[in-house]
Amino acid sequence: MSIDMSQFYQVFFEESEEHLASMEALLLELDVANPDLEQLNAIFRAAHSIKGSAGTFGFSDLAETTHILENLLDRIRKAELVLLPEMVDAFLQAGDVLRTMLDAHQGRGVVDAAQVQAICDRLRQLSDAEGLAGSALAPPPVPDPVPGAADDEVAVRVPEDTGRRLFDIQFLPTEIAAQGVGVDNLLDELRGLGELEVVSAGKPGAEPALWEIRLLTDQPREAFIDQIDFIADNGAWRVTEDTAVAADGTTAFGFFPSCPGTPDEVRGYGLYATDRQETDAYGFFEPLPPVTSADESAYGFFEPLPAPANTVQEEEGYGFFEPLPTPPAMPETGSAVQENAGFGFFEPLPMPAVTEAPAPAEIVVTPVASAPDSSPSTARVEQQKSKAPAVAASADSSIRVSVEKVDQLINLVGELVITQAMLLQTAAQMQDTAPESLLNGLTQLERNTRDLQESVMSIRMMPISFVFSRFPRVVRDLSGKLGKQVELKTTGENTELDKSLIERITDPLTHLIRNSLDHGIESPEKRLAAGKSPTGTITLKAYHQGGNIVIEVGDDGAGLPRDKILQKARERGLPVSEQMSDQEVFNLIFEPGFSTAEQITDVSGRGVGMDVVRRNIQSMGGRVEIDSMLGIGTRMTVRLPLTLAILDGMSIAVADQIYILPLSYVLESLQPAAGDIKTLSNRARVVQVRGEYLPVVVLHEIFNLQSQWQDFTQGIMVVLDADGARVALFVDALVGQHQVVIKSLEANYRKVPGVSGATIMGDGHVALILDVSAIAAMARSNMQKAAGSADEEM
Amino acid sequence: MEAKMQGSAGAEEDMLASEFLTFTLGNEEYAIDILKVQEIRGYETPTLIANAPAFIKGVINLRGIIVPIVDLRIKFRLGKVEYTPFTVVIILNIAGRVLGVVVDSVSDVLSLTASQIRQAPDFSGTFDTKYIVGLASIDERMLIVTDIERLMSSADMELIEAATE
Repeated sequence: MSIDMSQFYQVFFEESEEHLASMEALLLELDVANPDLEQLNAIFRAAHSIKGSAGTFGFSDLAETTHILENLLDRIRKAELVLLPEMVDAFLQAGDVLRTMLDAHQGRGVVDAAQVQAICDRLRQLSDAEGLAGSALAPPPVPDPVPGAADDEVAVRVPEDTGRRLFDIQFLPTEIAAQGVGVDNLLDELRGLGELEVVSAGKPGAEPALWEIRLLTDQPREAFIDQIDFIADNGAWRVTEDTAVAADGTTAFGFFPSCPGTPDEVRGYGLYATDRQETDAYGFFEPLPPVTSADESAYGFFEPLPAPANTVQEEEGYGFFEPLPTPPAMPETGSAVQENAGFGFFEPLPMPAVTEAPAPAEIVVTPVASAPDSSPSTARVEQQKSKAPAVAASADSSIRVSVEKVDQLINLVGELVITQAMLLQTAAQMQDTAPESLLNGLTQLERNTRDLQESVMSIRMMPISFVFSRFPRVVRDLSGKLGKQVELKTTGENTELDKSLIERITDPLTHLIRNSLDHGIESPEKRLAAGKSPTGTITLKAYHQGGNIVIEVGDDGAGLPRDKILQKARERGLPVSEQMSDQEVFNLIFEPGFSTAEQITDVSGRGVGMDVVRRNIQSMGGRVEIDSMLGIGTRMTVRLPLTLAILDGMSIAVADQIYILPLSYVLESLQPAAGDIKTLSNRARVVQVRGEYLPVVVLHEIFNLQSQWQDFTQGIMVVLDADGARVALFVDALVGQHQVVIKSLEANYRKVPGVSGATIMGDGHVALILDVSAIAAMARSNMQKAAGSADEEM
Repeated sequence: MEAKMQGSAGAEEDMLASEFLTFTLGNEEYAIDILKVQEIRGYETPTLIANAPAFIKGVINLRGIIVPIVDLRIKFRLGKVEYTPFTVVIILNIAGRVLGVVVDSVSDVLSLTASQIRQAPDFSGTFDTKYIVGLASIDERMLIVTDIERLMSSADMELIEAATE
């Protein structure tokens, strides 16, 4: 055990953070009055995983706190205690404390020992307080009832329920073992000794990760520790005997891959490696269980014994617990026994998928109806898939890769795309002289590169649920603090966007939600007076639109008071008029230092202001818009590009230069007629587009280039939407539309006003990408300089 | 500070001759530390950067990297600024940044020991002497040994945002 584990700390921290996050999400989802057992189990699993790895890595404070947390969870899960709202609060607080501990271990901040003590006491108190009645009925880890009960009827079929012991085995394989077959060999050998469950498999890849397995065997530990020692990295292993488990732990080895939805075969077989059970296991995964299996197991739990069949199916396909003495044997003994049995088996397991016992009556009904006593074929598995909790899914099938590596890959693919375009262009210049096979090859290459680019880009894509998942907590805490009743509804959590955007959008979105909560949603009394339901709703919605992701933060609150905003703006000396559109008025709240709050609360005044929100979103190449109706509600719409690495652009020509305009800003382009252009004070120009006057930005003037046109009617006006304000950009010509890979200009040079980046065109030349917001701002300042007071008439 | 830097550099060079790349700007010959040079390539028309100073010719694509190009002839007002097929761009790697310098021609690579490099007389005004390490004579030629890193990262060059000087 004396190896330096610090190299794995980072993995531990990351994993623990994830477990904490999923725990929190589950806690918030939990219906206190009628908790879903599956969710409770998932929470328990998360806590247990943290405890396990914290123990391994020697973070005893984390392990201890989680242990207490886990105890309470366990009792709730077993229905010994009734879940109370206070408990959820305590769990959430405990989660926070654990997070502080994690941070502290990473050198960020310090842990308040008193706080830790307080939460531990609170958890202990909650866990000891009630539920005595429940525990009297079902004393927690008492193994006796099970074998005892089993003896009555099914002792014969339970092969060796004596002398078997359950070992918790944790080890870090050596790098070589992890990459090669070393671990597989070990697992095979262990399977030969007894029944093996892989609780958490180390992930293949560069860094060896912790394996956690359980072995139920009649062999002493000496029989296998040598093998583990051989595989494990320099003594990084631990074998503990789990004395609490009943000898008949066999049955517990059900369906416990941490990814419940995907019972892949290998794992499945691994679980049933012991000879006798194997038949059943296969039976389960095969569409038609061989008759012999039913015979052999003698239970025939798929046979028309009504009661057993029910119970089996009730357990959602965990039916292959067939050799379990409990359910089929004594249906009439009722739930008490079943509970005991269940606990006896499953209690100490980290991933107890089956603890349905506490509420048998309800669950039995549905499966029976939906799946009669027919063969438990793949359909069963599928049903399970659909029931698999989303949170727990996909844990095992992923690998951890540093963002750097992914970025490098993306860069290289970007280069490949450019090279490919160059080749294509060269071939096009060859015209008829190009051999057909070359052209075919190039077409193929183009398709392949495009596919490659797409899949490489998708590596960076993550579902926005990573952001959304933190908001239930925010809303919960804040609404409590503000004395408001707020419900958060989210849709489109699976909408994907670039990881870097995920990280950067979190703060602005949090602020928007805070803002909605504080300023938008009214107090329950006001809401009732306005004839609304006392509970306000904040909707969080994400979806794709074109090449953008749109995130809407809506509330059914008071809406934005136009008059108040205008008045405030006048007080602040902003150039406003009554004629401004609602949109323009609402946009004023994004001005620095602008607040319509009548009083500064704890909530507003904290964090970033709305101007920072807008700036953040703009810096990501996005936009934010507000729709609001007084008394009905407000909706903030954030539009973001899917990725920061690629941009849909329109290439335009000015003088001999080509520039790229981000397509998301382009509304339309038109060739103005002579009379459409007007001047203000003989300097600033406006163009009339369908009765509206838009300021003209002359690109070659801003950039000091020699345009080939002096006359506006010969060039093209591109109407751009820059943060809600529309401007017309005058350019020489439109050239085309491209997907361009964004390159930084600042890496080797410096920031250039009006330019957001650069890209490489198909011919290998560099084209600059225009920063529309900055250009519009330049135009505005030009306008103000030129027009002065005339501005207001606009 | 400056003297110290040169002093320590000199001590090293006493023991070990360093190699310098020499190039011409007009009639003057310059020498720069060859370790700062990444590669030498022909001139290609760069993409203009709007509102940049005249000596910043623009940016080029160097195998996927955007690299700014500086014409030292314009900066130092030396020689005729013309771009021929023989015009050369020296790609430098300075402080983690890549940039290109347009020069009239590249002459050769020389080994110079510290003793060969003499203190430059102090011309205040015309050329900022703080970028000159010293002068070296090889045969009939006079080489202006330049601290190219210092020069390129100076605020004068406007290449780096918030340059230190």
